[in-house]
Amino acid sequence: MGLLDRLSGLLGLKKKEVHVLCLGLDNSGKTTIINKLKPSNAQSQDVVPTIGFSIEKFRSSSLSFTVFDMSGQGRYRNLWEHYYKEGQAIIFVIDSSDRLRMVVAKEELDTLLNHPDIKHRRIPILFFANKMDLRDAVTSVKVSQLLCLENIKDKPWHICASDAIKGEGLQEGVDWLQDQIQAVKT
Amino acid sequence: MLKKFDKKDEESGGGSNPFQHLEKSAVLQEARVFNETPISPRKCAHILTKILYLINQGEHLGTTEATEAFFAMTKLFQSNDPTLRRMCYLTIKEMSCIAEDVIIVTSSLTKDMTGKEDNYRGPAVRALCQITDSTMLQAIERYMKQAIVDKVPSVSSSALVSSLHLLKCSFDVVKRWVNEAQEAASSDNIMVQYHALGLLYHVRRNDRLAVNKMISKFTRHGLKSPFAYCLMIRVASKQLEEDGSRDSPLFDFIESCLRNKHEMVVYEAASAIVNLPGCSAKELAPAVSVLQLFCSSPKAALRYAAVRTLNKVAMKHPSAVTACNLDLENLVTDSNRSIATLAITTLLKTGSESSIDRLMKQISSFMSEISDEFKVVVVQAISALCQKYPRKHAVLMNFLFSMLREEGGFEYKRAIVDCIISIIEENSESKETGLSHLCEFIEDCEFTVLATRILHLLGQEGPKTNNPSKYIRFIYNRVVLEHEEVRAGAVSALAKFGAQNEEMLPSILVLLKRCVMDDDNEVRDRATFYLNVLEQKQKALNAGYILNGLTVSIPGLERALQQYTLEPSEKPFDLKSVPLATTPMAEQRTEGTPVVAVKQPEKVAATRQEIFQEQLAAVPEFRGLGPLFKSSPEPVALTESETEYVIRCTKHTFTDHIVFQFDCTNTLNDQTLENVTVQMEPTEAYEVLCYVPARSLPYNQPGTCYTLVALPKEDPIAVACTFSCMMKFTVKDCDPTTGEADDEGYEDEYVLEDLEVTVADHIQKVMKLNFEAAWDEVGDEFEKEETFTLSTIKTLEEAVGNIVKFLGMHPCERSDKVPDNKNTHTLLLAGVFRGGYDILVRSRLLLLDTVTMQVTARSSEELPVDIILASVG
Repeated sequence: MGLLDRLSGLLGLKKKEVHVLCLGLDNSGKTTIINKLKPSNAQSQDVVPTIGFSIEKFRSSSLSFTVFDMSGQGRYRNLWEHYYKEGQAIIFVIDSSDRLRMVVAKEELDTLLNHPDIKHRRIPILFFANKMDLRDAVTSVKVSQLLCLENIKDKPWHICASDAIKGEGLQEGVDWLQDQIQAVKT
Repeated sequence: MLKKFDKKDEESGGGSNPFQHLEKSAVLQEARVFNETPISPRKCAHILTKILYLINQGEHLGTTEATEAFFAMTKLFQSNDPTLRRMCYLTIKEMSCIAEDVIIVTSSLTKDMTGKEDNYRGPAVRALCQITDSTMLQAIERYMKQAIVDKVPSVSSSALVSSLHLLKCSFDVVKRWVNEAQEAASSDNIMVQYHALGLLYHVRRNDRLAVNKMISKFTRHGLKSPFAYCLMIRVASKQLEEDGSRDSPLFDFIESCLRNKHEMVVYEAASAIVNLPGCSAKELAPAVSVLQLFCSSPKAALRYAAVRTLNKVAMKHPSAVTACNLDLENLVTDSNRSIATLAITTLLKTGSESSIDRLMKQISSFMSEISDEFKVVVVQAISALCQKYPRKHAVLMNFLFSMLREEGGFEYKRAIVDCIISIIEENSESKETGLSHLCEFIEDCEFTVLATRILHLLGQEGPKTNNPSKYIRFIYNRVVLEHEEVRAGAVSALAKFGAQNEEMLPSILVLLKRCVMDDDNEVRDRATFYLNVLEQKQKALNAGYILNGLTVSIPGLERALQQYTLEPSEKPFDLKSVPLATTPMAEQRTEGTPVVAVKQPEKVAATRQEIFQEQLAAVPEFRGLGPLFKSSPEPVALTESETEYVIRCTKHTFTDHIVFQFDCTNTLNDQTLENVTVQMEPTEAYEVLCYVPARSLPYNQPGTCYTLVALPKEDPIAVACTFSCMMKFTVKDCDPTTGEADDEGYEDEYVLEDLEVTVADHIQKVMKLNFEAAWDEVGDEFEKEETFTLSTIKTLEEAVGNIVKFLGMHPCERSDKVPDNKNTHTLLLAGVFRGGYDILVRSRLLLLDTVTMQVTARSSEELPVDIILASVG
């Protein structure tokens, strides 16, 4: 950290960095969401299934996000926990059109919430009920019922309906997350 | 060794290495910094360096701790610091086999390899291929194909080289990238072209035709990269080696490369031609003349390469190198000592006897300045010289001893000692001087192996010299001064002197009595044992227990003893029930490399017999045959190599029986054989007792059947016999694809070649270190002598070779080597006859026009002697 860095930090010019974990089942649209949030010149054209994880960065109005975009495939889900400790917020993405695997998503969410690194922390969780553009998608309210989100008492959470391909609903979620993180900090 | 280590410690103790005394646990603790935000690239890179250092020092990281460190490291991907990122790539590669779930970084790496930063792309490709296994390869295949044809050379090269590594585990996937590699092979970048060609070659390696096509295609178009040319030359010479013929376009290609504008290519071509087996002088000439040109090059590396290659050529074709003698003479004074050494040793090989003295003087002037490796080269050259010019041994021997006195490492000293020992063996005149010089050497020798070896040699050769007592002082000094292994060796050597010299016996006994007080168990045991044996004053005991050691196979003895202790019985342990040690085949040293110690496959030979014994013991019919006496060393083929069935026979000799083991393979894929036996018809009084069939013989799965015969009882002398063999079986046709056989079969027969049983099958080779003692031990109770004329044999060497092969006995005291210019020779042979009777044969040979042979055989029983004499006649 150079002197200049520290100075700009004091003046609030340099944005605060936060670590965010992006979790969810495979094919739920995690990488697409993160890709859409990046500045348009840094977006990649084709999105392929993530193997392992990838680190992406984007900025909101007052924060600089470093996202650990984790792979959602079954065989990699047990690797998520290696990154729980550093995460200051969680984005959990759900494929709203995949009713069949909603129970799987719930199971993964419960495991996540009961993990010792997560359980006792007041860590904000943002849910994206994604793929709203699809015809058989259920509403965000229905999703929150299916996942029993009302049972989460000790953490701030918020659910957003989103369509990552068009980018609808993403900004609303990120704004909520930003507010939450700043509230925790101050 | 210990001393050396200390010295090294002192030298590096100055603190030049900042990573010394690193603690693994402390470093792994530090690695937790990776989890902090924001990341400090400098600090993290330093810790990664420490981890890499530890891994490279051989520190073992447990899977859990490695995985933990690895996952912490993955978080460093959020930093964009180039140094840190490079350290990450290195760490990924190093930890890819230690940590679990390393595929976690796959996406991060693919992102880097397709990204904009060229500096990241190559290393990312390499790291990615390191963590990818064959199941994951499909997922990154698309990226790899793109990377191979990438226009950035470093990326393309990385992808090509990584593909080469992947080829080992996922040949089928990488094979699909040939088109991309083809495209890369026409690249302008010399490295990319080279790597692409390498990949193409390795993909097609098993397809000779494709390789030939590839070479002709690329040589027609010409290549940009000299590296690629070198590779092509190597591939071409390998093809040539397999073909064996010389007039193919491949050889023309290599020869045309001698005129290439790159020196590298020219040298590679010359070296390839030189290394081709069975190269004629005419083919060699252009290569040698190119090397000759290099000898006067201003570049030291070229001169070195040239003279080193010429040195190799000189071993096989000294005459071809004579043309370069003048250039080599100039190199003798080269300022680079390595070049000078090689030049001199080459000249030693090509030069005449008269120039040896001069060259030796020259080389001794700078012997102290060259490294051990080159000193070994010099020693090898001298050893070759000694064989060529036995008369020069005095000069050479002196030179060797002055080298022996100087400082030097183990390999170097061993080469010298090997060389001296081989001179002593070849040349009896040099024995006395050689032994006394070796005595001096062990006075101050830090290498246990060499000291014990020399002591053994002294014990063997010393007593036969004119004045044996002078060696005693040297040997006893070792007992006083050295550590236990050498002391034990010295005690054994002393005992051998006592066993062979009556007049020295009292003094030896006194010395051995002193050794009984030794601190070490082994030394004490040996001394007590020898003392007791010697005090009996019986020649037979001396011969059996001191001069000639145990001849049984050690693993066999161990097993037999264990068996004996498990089943306690009244009977004393019978040493004859232990299988004999099979004398290793590779004992004859190869002529070209006399100094290189031949690694003897003793362990393997011993276990081969063990395996047979176990297999045979599993067959119920063979119970009660007693211990396996001998298995024939190599299976005999009873069929031509490319017939319907491949049958090979191994003979197992027991005390009164022989078991023939037939290893059968069915090479017809539309047949299954059942109930396979080999019917045998003996010509002599042998009696076939039973057949053990191979139940079923499907396509290409080897099976075994046995035939048991009893040795003739009425006429025990007729041991040699020819058996006519016929294979009988039931054929069932089957579907070649599924292997399903019909229910119905029919009987069939197949005639095999005849099988011979010779005297050699009844005798096991045994090495007697001291033949004379063994000869006296057996005594002349059953001694017989006869004289034969070998009318078809014209030289002594031929006669010796034939006798050794025919009787299957072990030549003792190097009597299988016939000295030049002599017309008489005595061949000494030792063996053990089936049943465990020692048999010794002394045959005196006389060469006039034909060879006349007087054979004297001794044994502890009459039968073996009769058999030997009957069979020779």
